[in-house]
Amino acid sequence: MRKIIALIFLAILLWGITKPVSRIPFGTNKIKVAEHYITKDITETGAANVVTSVVVLYRGFDTLGEVTILFIAAIGLASILYLPRKKVSDEVLEESSLILRTGCRFLFPLILLFGAYIFVHGHLTPGGGFQGGAIIASGFALIFLSCRERVVSTVKLGVVESLAGMTFVAVGLIGLATGGYFLLSFLPKGTLNMLFSAGIIPVIYVAIGFKVGSELAGIIGNLMERTQ
Amino acid sequence: MVNPVLLIAVPLGLAFSLPIFGLISKRLEKYLPVIAMLFNLSLSVYLVPRVLTHPIIVYIGGWAPPFGIDLFVGPVGIFFSVIIALVGLLVSIYAMDYIKEGDTGKYHVLFLLLLTGAQGVVLTGDIFNLFVFYEILCISSYALVGYLRDRDGLESAIKYLVQGSIGTGLVLTGIAFIYGLYGTLNMADIARQINSIKPAANFITLALIITGLGVEAAIFPMNAWLPDAHSSAPSSISAILSGIAIEIGVYAIARVIFTIFGATDILSFVALVGIITLLVGEMSALKQNNIKRMLAYSSTGQIGLIVFAFAIATSYGIEAGLFQILNHSLSKALLFLAAGYMIYRTGSMEISSFEGMGKRMPLTSLGFTIGAFSLIGLPPFAGFASKFLIVKAALTKGGGLYTCLIALALVATVIEGAYFFRVVQVLYFRGSNENVTRQEAPVVALVPFFVLAVLIIAIGIYPGPVMHVLNSATSEFVHRIAYIQGVLR
Repeated sequence: MRKIIALIFLAILLWGITKPVSRIPFGTNKIKVAEHYITKDITETGAANVVTSVVVLYRGFDTLGEVTILFIAAIGLASILYLPRKKVSDEVLEESSLILRTGCRFLFPLILLFGAYIFVHGHLTPGGGFQGGAIIASGFALIFLSCRERVVSTVKLGVVESLAGMTFVAVGLIGLATGGYFLLSFLPKGTLNMLFSAGIIPVIYVAIGFKVGSELAGIIGNLMERTQ
Repeated sequence: MVNPVLLIAVPLGLAFSLPIFGLISKRLEKYLPVIAMLFNLSLSVYLVPRVLTHPIIVYIGGWAPPFGIDLFVGPVGIFFSVIIALVGLLVSIYAMDYIKEGDTGKYHVLFLLLLTGAQGVVLTGDIFNLFVFYEILCISSYALVGYLRDRDGLESAIKYLVQGSIGTGLVLTGIAFIYGLYGTLNMADIARQINSIKPAANFITLALIITGLGVEAAIFPMNAWLPDAHSSAPSSISAILSGIAIEIGVYAIARVIFTIFGATDILSFVALVGIITLLVGEMSALKQNNIKRMLAYSSTGQIGLIVFAFAIATSYGIEAGLFQILNHSLSKALLFLAAGYMIYRTGSMEISSFEGMGKRMPLTSLGFTIGAFSLIGLPPFAGFASKFLIVKAALTKGGGLYTCLIALALVATVIEGAYFFRVVQVLYFRGSNENVTRQEAPVVALVPFFVLAVLIIAIGIYPGPVMHVLNSATSEFVHRIAYIQGVLR
């Protein structure tokens, strides 16, 4: 009986959702805001990657919020998994296999390099801080898997995380101080397609890259800790 | 002029830097939320007279709406920011001594971010930005509910997380429809294009958004998470969740209904839901023996009353609703904070264990009593003025429906009186009065009690200045066109 009621509710919801979806003019140029972004982006922001300029400049405040949400998720997880006194476990860790260990050691620097490339070039090529950070964290995940005796210091990760977050807010405040607008792109636009262009986008994306990388690595590290 | 964006940027920056301060000295951590909220309170109060003459519209990054994000710092926004900063400040003073176990640094970060999220929600003029700050508020409250890491806390945090995430998922779906249909996320720009909720597409979008926001506001039948979450969180967090978080949900619903959709057609339904929430909340509260569960159910009831007041939708009604929000924030914060130390001293949440508290913790008990009386609506406390306004608004609105509903609301008030008087009776008139040593709460906890109690009495006796702000706030909700024109100049 409950299943039938649930199915009826779902059917009503589905029917309801089709109403607005059928009215959305997909594939037309009706959307004024999006068209503005596409046509005016390069002259206004100097970024070759339109998505990035929307994420960091036009809607930079949302991005600051999203970075904060990830920060909360990491901090909240750490506070719930918090162990009052960390016991040094004397149990013998099982060694990872030679293939895994060698592979990870070989790949780790390359992954870091690739992640850094992704976030440094966020304003030029697809990708950006979040993606680059996630790639970097995946490198740390490999280290956690292969070199099991290694402990990545959560304190150091926390410091990186905090500094990166503070950089984001500080960039915003500098904009407020120099131009009167929070998160104003106060740096010069530069030449299109050059590494040093598009105002504050590279600065913010580097900060986000570090922040996301250290946060995700910290989350994995927290989940790896053993309780006795 | 000081830019109101600092109300968000400063607490956010301090929250990010808090772990670093924690490395320098563990003792610094607990002062940062106090500093941030002190800053916010002084800035909000400083901005009040300016905002009342003319709302301040802040462009983030210098991009004019609808292309960028704007903050709309109007009377409503500043009214809520004063409440958030004030209650936040008092609770963070209280928490300096109250929070001892666990990773206290993380507690303070999450607490500060919760308040930042609430601050962002009430100031922003962009619906997706509202969603982002709403998520900041919600996710930090999920983590804080489970902060004590006991069985109850974790269980209710997971319940809250699941229900809250479904709610925010619905909100996001609704926002996606809005963007698809109207191609913009700026609230004023959406409002300009929506003239009626008659088309099914608009109605369903509205339904999705207010259902989703209703989860956080704990409107019946989406309130299942609230009693568990509010009762198993640390008392300082219960105070913030009851005093601020659920009111933010109501604010968001009011903003969506009045400003964005101008959906006056559905208000009699909303009024009905409000009264049902009120009755369900108060009747459940009456049955409780656990003090924190009782207070949590009472919050559900109060939210129902606030929603009802907003749904009257005349300027009297909205004004009364806002006043009731103020009263509920102050009183419920005071009740939870006072109950927190009584639980701490007795080690039990059972109401019967508080016998003789009137002698043992006289000031705490007095604080609790003032909060309870104000919530019931006894003169000369703030609750009397706000409940009186609600009754007046409903009767002026007239019509059989509203008259019946306000009669039911008065019945609920009687129920509310019944359970609060029961607790007050236990505090003062039960148990032996001999051999009781005084074990008052520490001074840092008494300061918030004192400030809240004084405010409740002062507003009750002399509501003039508050009413002045509330008048302007009401006209912001009522005059939708003025809001639109204010942003899209």
